This record gives sequence, structure tokens and C-alpha cells, in this order.
Amino acid sequence: MSTLRRLPELLVPALLVLGTTLLGLSVSSYLQAYFLDTLIKVAIVVALYVFIGNSGVLSFGHVSFVALGAWTAGVLTVPADQKGAIMPGLAHFLLHTNVGNVASLAVAAAVGAVAAFAVGLPLMRLSGLAAGIATFAVLEITNNLLTYDQSIGPGENAFSSVPQTTGMWQAAIGALLCVAVAFVYRSSRFGRMLRATREDPAAAAATGISIYRQRLLAFVISGGLAGFAGGMYVHLLPLQAAGLHLDLTFITLAMLIVGGSGSLLGAVAGALAVSGLYSFFSAATNGVDVLGWNLTVPQGTAEIVLGVLMAFVLIVRPAGLTGGRELSLPRRDVRVEAEP
Amino acid sequence: MSEAAPALALDGLSVRYGAVDAVRALSLEVGRGEVVGLIGPNGAGKSSTLHAIMGAAPVVGGDIRLEGRSLLGMRSERVARHGVALVPEGRRIFGELTVEENLRLGLAARRSRPSGDPFAHAYELFPILDEFRRRHAGALSGGQQQQLAIARALVSEPDVLLLDEPSLGLAPKIVDVVFEALAKIRDSGLAVLLVEQRAQRTVAFADRSYVLANGELRLTLAPKDAGDTDRLVAAYLS
Amino acid sequence: MTLAFLNLSWPVFANGLEFGGIYALMAVGIGLVFGVLRLVNFAYGQLIMAGGFALAYGSQWNLPNWLSILFSFGVVLVLSVAMDRLVFRPLRTHSPAVMLVATFAVAFVLQNIAQLAFGTFGKSAGALASLDAPWDFGGVEIKKIAVIAVATAAVCLVLLQLLLTRTSLGLHMRAASMDFRTAQLLGVRANRVILGAVVISALFAAISAVFLSVEVIQVTSTFGLSDTIFVLAGVVLGGLNRPIPATLGGFSIGFASGILGGTLPANQSQYLPTFLFAAVIVVLLVRPNGLFTRAGGGVVERV
Repeated sequence: MSTLRRLPELLVPALLVLGTTLLGLSVSSYLQAYFLDTLIKVAIVVALYVFIGNSGVLSFGHVSFVALGAWTAGVLTVPADQKGAIMPGLAHFLLHTNVGNVASLAVAAAVGAVAAFAVGLPLMRLSGLAAGIATFAVLEITNNLLTYDQSIGPGENAFSSVPQTTGMWQAAIGALLCVAVAFVYRSSRFGRMLRATREDPAAAAATGISIYRQRLLAFVISGGLAGFAGGMYVHLLPLQAAGLHLDLTFITLAMLIVGGSGSLLGAVAGALAVSGLYSFFSAATNGVDVLGWNLTVPQGTAEIVLGVLMAFVLIVRPAGLTGGRELSLPRRDVRVEAEP
Repeated sequence: MSEAAPALALDGLSVRYGAVDAVRALSLEVGRGEVVGLIGPNGAGKSSTLHAIMGAAPVVGGDIRLEGRSLLGMRSERVARHGVALVPEGRRIFGELTVEENLRLGLAARRSRPSGDPFAHAYELFPILDEFRRRHAGALSGGQQQQLAIARALVSEPDVLLLDEPSLGLAPKIVDVVFEALAKIRDSGLAVLLVEQRAQRTVAFADRSYVLANGELRLTLAPKDAGDTDRLVAAYLS
Repeated sequence: MTLAFLNLSWPVFANGLEFGGIYALMAVGIGLVFGVLRLVNFAYGQLIMAGGFALAYGSQWNLPNWLSILFSFGVVLVLSVAMDRLVFRPLRTHSPAVMLVATFAVAFVLQNIAQLAFGTFGKSAGALASLDAPWDFGGVEIKKIAVIAVATAAVCLVLLQLLLTRTSLGLHMRAASMDFRTAQLLGVRANRVILGAVVISALFAAISAVFLSVEVIQVTSTFGLSDTIFVLAGVVLGGLNRPIPATLGGFSIGFASGILGGTLPANQSQYLPTFLFAAVIVVLLVRPNGLFTRAGGGVVERV
């Protein structure tokens, strides 16, 4: 398969990201916040896609890696003179180590990847419901630890004084980087092998593909990307442990499913479209002008719209907007006979 | 034999799983008080035929009629409640339930209120079940479980009985017990469609037997053909 | 009087039993639906939340307690059936993982609707608060609600057991949770069995809501959420598709958290979720087939 033919698979998502960035640069600074948030979400959803999209296995735990990446980058870049005051319980090593902002992103990615490796070693043998529950458990554990352990971060408090270096271009480049890595992976031999296991696990195993190893590889890469996204995120907003838990998990999962979990384009398009919708309704809580009308909605409308949309997509078009592949493993549970 | 519609009739039945044609334009009839055999090599479509009758297989053509009434498109539970009982391949008894509870499940498809002991007939036919009433069905031997599976089907008082390879994995003595029971069932007026791997025994026992290979009807055999192994083999391999 | 060898006081022990009972009921609710539908209903917590809000409205309208409770039962029942019809039924042919995600979506939507309608402050369901007061048992004070909750839970579980073993609906439900396909082939009505599971599960959720509201009083959009997550963990630990172990799992978690909440200092008990979920992961790794396969075509979970 010549690289030239494959290029649109990278270029289209990349152009979508660029387009969003340019749009974001042209709006008021008040609205820019939504675009910045969107670009970070793209990075997270692309990370999700790398694993879920290629393996067909559900993971509820990726926000753990986002959180770990955020914690890492945050702790390493809060100015040394303020660290002690803000995070009094911080471990000695973390208290006295600082890195540059860009370097912190790299470390965040590394931490995400290592954590994913540690988690993936035991968990990648699981599929389906068991994997979903196990990764959910990972999410709970991580959230529990980060909320109460004051030696590695601010605990349940918001991360303050992290240098806010994630501007529009930084976020764009970060998102594009994630897209590029995802593209390289999915086009590679490893990506193809993993997708083969998604389609027909028995046949794939018969040809010598180690389902476990390929899943682990994808999990580690996606963990790294998620950590990286977390690093960018903490340089954007004062994050809290509570904000890196169930809600974020649900939102990013919804973005992936609505867009189409089976393709990179689906991940990017889903993140952009859903984030756009979500941002629109979030902004509407303060009133927006739609074609001359003023629309004001109550707080929480955005979440409801998102949830309903996700349920709708699951029921009506489970392959998502882009019609990638389905989220579930191809072997459907034939327990209840189909309605005639 | 009256001119009324046969108990069970398949009319050009075709079953397709994805891209695979499991059954092609199969037509056959089973009348009351008849045992009709359906034999053939593995993968010939015998099980698919039974599943299609029970509404559990994708039918892409033809019709299935129960006393003239089409069963197409009905869900399994409705087909069962119309008087068609299946003894599934592998028995599929509920190991964690007792023998009596398994039989009670058979009542689900019953069309008339039971008067007296609904299990009396079943226990009469298979006395071993009466002995093991309160035992967990999983503790029974293969042959006993097969008897339970048949009894469970009979408890629903069906008009049509479908059996999917009842002799599979059973010792010859137990197979005898099963066929003896089938003879009595035939005598009681049920229409029986018997899918089997043991070609000779089936051909000898059934009123007539159809040989299915590759989803198609290849040959019809009468009991007297039971000894004609050449013909059988030829039909299997064609 | 103290249970000296455990360093437990009677009130704390009673608290453990109380939560054990409530969580056992919730576990049964979750386990029943899983057995029959192969659906892990993450939105179970929102059913409890809805029950809580219904009680709050009952309080607000000054309804007598029994009417409030009945109203709450009704709300939970309707919501539960609606969830099944609108969301879960169309997804029945999908894998359990997809269905889990769908329940996640439902939970998310309901939680935010509650947030929207009642704000962060929520609503007060204070009518039953009097049950939080203690009874005096010869010098030992045990909360009324603890006794009532345990007694009710026990009665409910016994009744359920009778239903499952003595009635044909119960038999059909048990058979369906063992081998749905074969049960259908025998004429078991799928819809009836599913409705039965959904209704019973809803009833238990409503009862749980009543008991939980006594302690919590202020019902918010997260009412019942963390309880549900813990019960889910307990059920997985106990055995998702076996009713008795599932109930025991739920009871154990409730009992443990009731006791530990009262005895451990905060800085030790706050990491309990970590241990709990680590145990869940271990169980999933060590006994996956015990939890998720069943006769007649289970989904193979391990690679």
C-alpha cells in the first residue's frame, strides 16, 4: 500500500485540526477557551482511538493516564518558590525537581506510557465486559490515589500556579502530534495486526499474532498520548482530580463513539463535532446569539445533549458518524433472538 | 391419512448464515404418527433445518408450515407455544436445576392446563427420571440427561417433536432406550422429525428418511434400504 | 457493651449490618438484571437517585410517609421500565461492553437532568429522618433505621428466594439467566422474564433509596452514585452471574464500609476504594470464566 494513497488518512484529520485552530484564532478571547479545550479533547480522544479503535476492546481507564500526565507535568513545572506553599505534603524529590514546560510534556507522556505498561501487563488478557470493568477499577484507583495523596500532587485541590503555556498553537501542535503518532501506528504492521485481532480473533491467533502483545503495545502508546494530553491540559487550566474522573471519561468516550471508534478520522471528527456541540450549549448557559435569536439554556444542558446523542448513536448507528467499525467485538452475543 | 395439512411441512426452505447457504430449497413433510429421519454428513444443514423451524436461524426463502399455518418470522418462544418442541443438540438441560425443575420448564410451552400430574407420562416413559426427581440435572449421566431432554419436550404436549442428534455420545444400550421411547412417542400420534448421525439405525426405524448433503435433499430412503450401505455412502459423498 | 475482640461497639456493628443489608438489596437488583439481560446497569445509581427525589417531593407535599414511599416506588418503576424499553432493548444484540457504555450514557444524562432540575443543593427528603434516632436496647443505643433496614432486607431476600424457587416466573428467570437461548426454545417468554427482573430490581432500588435517604437526607444528583459503584465492585467480587455470591459480595462491602467508616480514622479509610478496586481487578484476572461464561454460548473473555 503506497504511502501516497494513505496520506489522506493523515491529512484530512490534520486539516480538520488546523481548520479548527485557525477558526479559534479568529474569535474573541472569551470563545478561545472553548477552542483550546476542544484541541485538548482531540488529543485525548485520539489517544483513546489508538487503543479502543484498533483493538475493539473498551477501556474506561484512559483518563487515569491523562490525570497522571497532568499531575506529572504540573508538579514538575510549578515554580520552585511556590511549590512548598501550594503543595506542602509534596515528596522531597518532586519538591526539588523542576523541568521546562516542553520537557514536562515529554515526561508526562513517558509517565503515561509507563503507567499504561504497568496496568496493561495484567489487564490486556481481558476482553469485553471484564476489560471494561477492570479498566473502570483502574480509573477509580487512580482517582482515589490522586485525590488523597498529597505527596504527589495537590490532592483534591485544584492545581494552581502551573504556567499556562498551552496557547492555541501549542495545543494545535500537540493535537497534530497525537494525530501523527496515531496515524503512524495504525498504518504500521502492528496496527494492522491488532485490527486483525479485532475482526477475527481466532483467525488472527492462528496466524501467529499475539493478541496480548499487540494490545499491550497499543495500550502503552495510547497511555503515552493520554499522558501527553494531560500535560497540555494542566498547562491550560487549574485542573482538579474530580474533573479528571467519570465526567471526562464519559465525554471523551462519547466523542469517540459518536465520531466512529474504528477510524482516526472518526476520533478527530467526533471530538471536534461533539466538542463544538458541547461548547455551544455550555456557552449558551450565558446566552448565545443564534441567527438573531438569543438562546439561553440552563446549566447542564450540554451534558444532557451529549448523553442523549451518544445513546442515540449507539442505538441507531453504532459505527458512529464516520461509520468506522463497531465498538463491540465482531462476535455478537446472540442471546436474544432478533425481532422478526 | 386424511387430506388435512401434514403436521409439519417444509416448502423450499432456504437458510443462509452470512455468505453461507446452510439449507437450499428443502421440501419435506412429516405427518402425525410418523417418524421422519433426516440424516447426512456433518455440516449438511440438518441442525440448521431444525433451528429454522424453531425460528432460530435466518430463513431467506421458502416456508415452514405447522398444520398448514406458516411459522415463518415467529420467535422461538412462540413456535414452542404453538406445539413444536425441540430436543436440542447436546441436550441443553439446566444442570443447576433439579430434574423436576427441568421438567417444569417444559410446561412453559404447554397450551392446555395440565390435569392431574403433568409429569406422569414423562416418568412412565423414563422411569429413571422419577427416581432422580430431586437430583440436580447436572449429576445425571449423558444418557439420563438425554432422556430428561426428551421428557422435557414431551411435557409441553407438542404436536411436533424435533430431535437433534439424540444418540450423540451415548452408549449403545442407552441408544436402545431412546429409540424405544421414540417408538412409543410415534404410537401416541406425534409427528417426529429425527436428525441423526447414525444413518443405518435411523433409516431402519423411521417411516422414511431423507438424506441431506450440502444443504440439499439428495435421497429419500425407506426402512428396507437400511442395509444398502453403498447407496447411503454415495448419497453422503455426493 | 463492646465486642471486645473486634474492638467494635454495638452501634457500629449495627451500622455495618445496616449498610450490609442495603447494599445486599442493591446487589440483588444489579445481579438479577445482569443474570437475565447480561447487562451491568451502571445507571442503577440514578434509579436510586430518582427514588430519593421522589421521597423529597413527598416530603415537600407533606404526604404521609407510606404514600411518599409508594410514590417513590412508582417513580423508580416507571423510570426503570422506560430505561429498558428505550435504551437497553434496542441494544440487546450488542456485546455486554457496549451495553455497559450505554448504561453509562443513561447514568450521565439522568445525573445531569437532576443537576439541572435541582441544582447542586438538591432537595431535602427529611420526612423519614426520625428513623435516624436510636432505640434503647437495655443501655445500648441502636439506630432505628439500622434495625428496620436489616429486617426489611432480610424479608425481601427471603421473599425473593421464594419467588425464584416456588413460582414459575422465578423458575423461568433462573433458567433464562443460565441459558437464555434454550429457555426461549422451551417457550419461556423472554419479555415476561425481562420485565420481571427489571421490576424486582426497581423495587429493590426504591427500597434502598428509602433507607439511604434516612442517613443522607439531602438528595442531590449524586445520591446513590458512590454506593452503586461500591456495590458493583462487591458484586463483581462476589460473582456477577451467581445470585447468592453476588448478594454476599454486596453485603460484605456494605458491612465493611459500615464498620470501617465508624472505626478507622479518616486518613486510613480514605484509601479503601483503592483496595476494593484492586481486589476487583485481581478477581477479574483470576476467575474470569467463573464470572462471565454461561451455558449455551457465553462470550469468551480471556485472550
